[in-house]
Amino acid sequence: MMKLLQQKEWSPYLAGTLLGLVYIVSIAVAGIIPGASGAFENIGGLIAQAIYPDLAKNTYFQFVMPPGITTAVMILLGIFIGAFVSAKLSGDFKLQVVSDPQWKRVFGAAVWKRWLVLFLGGILLEFGAGIAGGCTSGLAIGGGMFLAPSAFIFIAAMFISGIPTAWLMYRRKY
Amino acid sequence: MFEMLFALIIGFGFGFALQKAGLGKYHKIVNVFRFTDLAVLKFMMTTLAVSMVGTFALNSLGIIALPAIPPTYVVGNLIGGLIFGVGMAGAGF
Repeated sequence: MMKLLQQKEWSPYLAGTLLGLVYIVSIAVAGIIPGASGAFENIGGLIAQAIYPDLAKNTYFQFVMPPGITTAVMILLGIFIGAFVSAKLSGDFKLQVVSDPQWKRVFGAAVWKRWLVLFLGGILLEFGAGIAGGCTSGLAIGGGMFLAPSAFIFIAAMFISGIPTAWLMYRRKY
Repeated sequence: MFEMLFALIIGFGFGFALQKAGLGKYHKIVNVFRFTDLAVLKFMMTTLAVSMVGTFALNSLGIIALPAIPPTYVVGNLIGGLIFGVGMAGAGF
């Protein structure tokens, strides 16, 4: 058992089974569909309340994603801790400014380039998730498991734009 | 209070599973859009299958109720997904 926990990488089928069980427990015990993107919106609302209260009074923050320390924020906090423990157990944990070998090989080791793309990509991710009503976890999996049409529209759209984006970035290296 | 603590534990399992699947790594995410490593899809579909079967089994036995299902609004889901895909392929998260 310990050996399994110390492995750097599990088969996606094993890890997927674990996550599936996490979803079942979460829904069975608390009726919560786990998600990641909602927490950022809750926290964003809190920040808006602090620095520009008028902005926090719009329809979105009032009715769709109320600001506050919600269960989604707690899940996000748990994700950090869980991933940290998992990486520490396997010795996979490293602090790096440009962490990925594939990125370095293709785009070079320039820190600003990676961080700029990360920052802009992060904005798009969160903005898109806000419009769609969830991200890969809360909508694609959390909706897909109930065969909600929204989940499959989202997954399809994600690939429709993701594939050309990757192609444009990699070009001949695609 | 219980709910908050429970959410933290759920998040722990969530983060643990994703890290073990290698989904914290840029190349894992972007390579699914290059069709060179489909781990993300295998992982997602396994999660879907397991959670689907488990939840509906428990529901059919009358043990649990189903939560509110993410609403469908075609244009929003579609445009949101399109924007999300660009971010996902670029940032790799």
